[in-house]
Amino acid sequence: MILLETHNVVLRDTLTKRFSSTQADPLDITFVDFDGVTYHLHTPTDDFHQLQLSVRWACFPQLLAYGAEALLQQQYKPFLSTTPEQGWHVTFDIDPRTIEGSKGEDVIRRFSLLKRNLMAAPFEHAFALHQQGDNGQSILTVPYREEESIFIRPQSDRVTVIFSTTFKDETDRIFGKVFLQEFVDARRQPAIQNAPQVLYSNKEPPLEIRHLPNLASGDTIGYVTFVLFPRHFETDEAREKTIDQIQMFRDYLHYHIKCSKAYMHTRMRARVSDFLKVINRAKPARETGERKTIHGRTFTPV
Amino acid sequence: MTNLPPVVIDNGTGYTKMGFAGNSDPQFIFPTVIATRETAAGGSTRSLASQSSGIGGTSSHLASKRGAEDLDFYIGHEAIRHSKSYALNYPIRHGQIENWDHMERLWEQSIFKYLRCEPEDHYFLLTEPPLNAPENRENTAEIFFETFNIPGMYIAVQAVLALAASWVSGKVSERTLTGTVIDSGDGVTHVIPVADGYVIGSSIKHIPIAGRDITQFVQQLLRDRNESAIPPEDSLEVAKRIKESYSYVCHDIVKEFRKYDQDPSLFRKYEGIHSVTQRPYEVDVGYERFLAPEIFFNPEIASSDFLTPLPDVVDQVIQSSPIDTRRGLYKNIVLSGGSTMFKDFGKRLHRDIKRTVDARLRRSEELSGGRLKSTPMEVNVISHKKQRYAVWFGGSLLASTNEFYSYCHTKAEYEEYGPSIARHNRVFNTIE
Repeated sequence: MILLETHNVVLRDTLTKRFSSTQADPLDITFVDFDGVTYHLHTPTDDFHQLQLSVRWACFPQLLAYGAEALLQQQYKPFLSTTPEQGWHVTFDIDPRTIEGSKGEDVIRRFSLLKRNLMAAPFEHAFALHQQGDNGQSILTVPYREEESIFIRPQSDRVTVIFSTTFKDETDRIFGKVFLQEFVDARRQPAIQNAPQVLYSNKEPPLEIRHLPNLASGDTIGYVTFVLFPRHFETDEAREKTIDQIQMFRDYLHYHIKCSKAYMHTRMRARVSDFLKVINRAKPARETGERKTIHGRTFTPV
Repeated sequence: MTNLPPVVIDNGTGYTKMGFAGNSDPQFIFPTVIATRETAAGGSTRSLASQSSGIGGTSSHLASKRGAEDLDFYIGHEAIRHSKSYALNYPIRHGQIENWDHMERLWEQSIFKYLRCEPEDHYFLLTEPPLNAPENRENTAEIFFETFNIPGMYIAVQAVLALAASWVSGKVSERTLTGTVIDSGDGVTHVIPVADGYVIGSSIKHIPIAGRDITQFVQQLLRDRNESAIPPEDSLEVAKRIKESYSYVCHDIVKEFRKYDQDPSLFRKYEGIHSVTQRPYEVDVGYERFLAPEIFFNPEIASSDFLTPLPDVVDQVIQSSPIDTRRGLYKNIVLSGGSTMFKDFGKRLHRDIKRTVDARLRRSEELSGGRLKSTPMEVNVISHKKQRYAVWFGGSLLASTNEFYSYCHTKAEYEEYGPSIARHNRVFNTIE
């Protein structure tokens, strides 16, 4: 598995189970997705067919400001609950009985992509601004994690996406640096000339956003810049794919840092077992042969 | 993001159960198996080492590759689906992790692909079998802190979690961590005495009868009866279904046979569909309904090498435990695992144990010539709704309490002292 998937597996599996069975049991589960998204799926009333899904995400207010509201209206209108559950940002009411069999699959897919769709809103917004010929005046900031943000800057000829990401561990930072430099280098290969340009800067924020207040800088932070040209988001298909991949980028990066470490550990274990063999070979052989006691009798040591 | 729920992972020999704390059921239950591109023969570490010709030679199978081959693997159900083109590996044997390379990758994918969480944001609760070597615990801590950078972790003993899970049962009056756990999964059945959260290691007993043996026994019964309708390739699957949906524990085997002869309505019919031709077929289900779980109580009907009935084993285990714990152990016998789910399993077990215990008390009174009067022994067998995934559920309960965070080993401690912190269990700090 090289790329991470965009849908939520727990949500998909649970909804599929609920849609395919006529029997309904009480349900109350809380689960998460990347970037601190928390879901709460439960049956609020005695009617166990009726499901309620609530979502909490720290950057939800920003997402709403960048067009998530319209997206919710467009994609999830029939399910949207008027008042969100206490302590949650948005709530949906889903009743599998009211959805016809053939539509069920589409509903399941749409909900399992909920996080992806919410995150897509600022990107769509930026692409729209680009179409209107905005020239880098506005920068969309999405603080998608506690200490990390996405900055999107639409310009007349391109859209720049900048990620800030923190590394909690010294080793991770080094792995991350190597990994991101590899990204920059890989683009030189002729096969992927059309990929967006990638720039990486450690410690210092890039020029595009340096004027913003409250930017973190320091050893543990890194900034990754993607330059998207119109060819990356002009057609619907390309746009969906770009959004899919770019919003998973942070998790993708951290996932691969972890995979690389696991790979290193595999090699380290193999190497250790090699060394152990060498050491075992170097053990001096036990002396055997006849020995005499002081009385002249022979004995063999055990 | 401190308000994110801890992750609870129970890696068993047969199945891995994982999910987020606070829920009543695990979100994912899949076979603990990983499908890799390596050759089918042997586990990787050993085969890796054997292929290499000492230091400096072609070091390892994986190391000689320069692409993303280390990411080319599947776990769980997907692994089974790809078993034709990949080699299946079972990294856990007899409850213990045998292959750390595979296990590390299994965890990696289960966290990122299935749970979809950033491990840096979540605390983790993992489980270990009783008598697990401290080195294994260290290795686990090393992987979780080094590879996944988790903020904190706790490794709990499965039997203790099963005890904690039994607190949901209405029968439990006080929340104690003293009791006997009967954990019966797919491969093996353990009887584990626990006193105040400590596992009494010297008294643990294993019984080589578990879910798989029952299924095979049912399969054998069906075969002996010439149930020709069952397609041969599905016979194990059919036996498993019959076991799961029709079996129960009876009071008395002889009476039960007579009851069946008088009342034909007790016979059931299993309806299946041929997996290839899609043709429906029917199988009669008869005596195997009560005979299947009977092998726990009368093992001689199925096997010839293990002959001690489960109630006797439980009694032996408790009798070999320290004398001051025995009353507590009899009082709280807790069931855990899928193979204890048969209807009336607890009742029968209770009756048989009670009978043995009472007989022993009566005998000692007789021997004393009536001068000694002992207080009757209280025997309780506790079954509850969460029995099937009791270990995971107990973990979920524990990890959703506020104290859980104070039991955890944190990353800061790991960096200060190293993996040896995992040898120590914080829960018992006060008792020291």
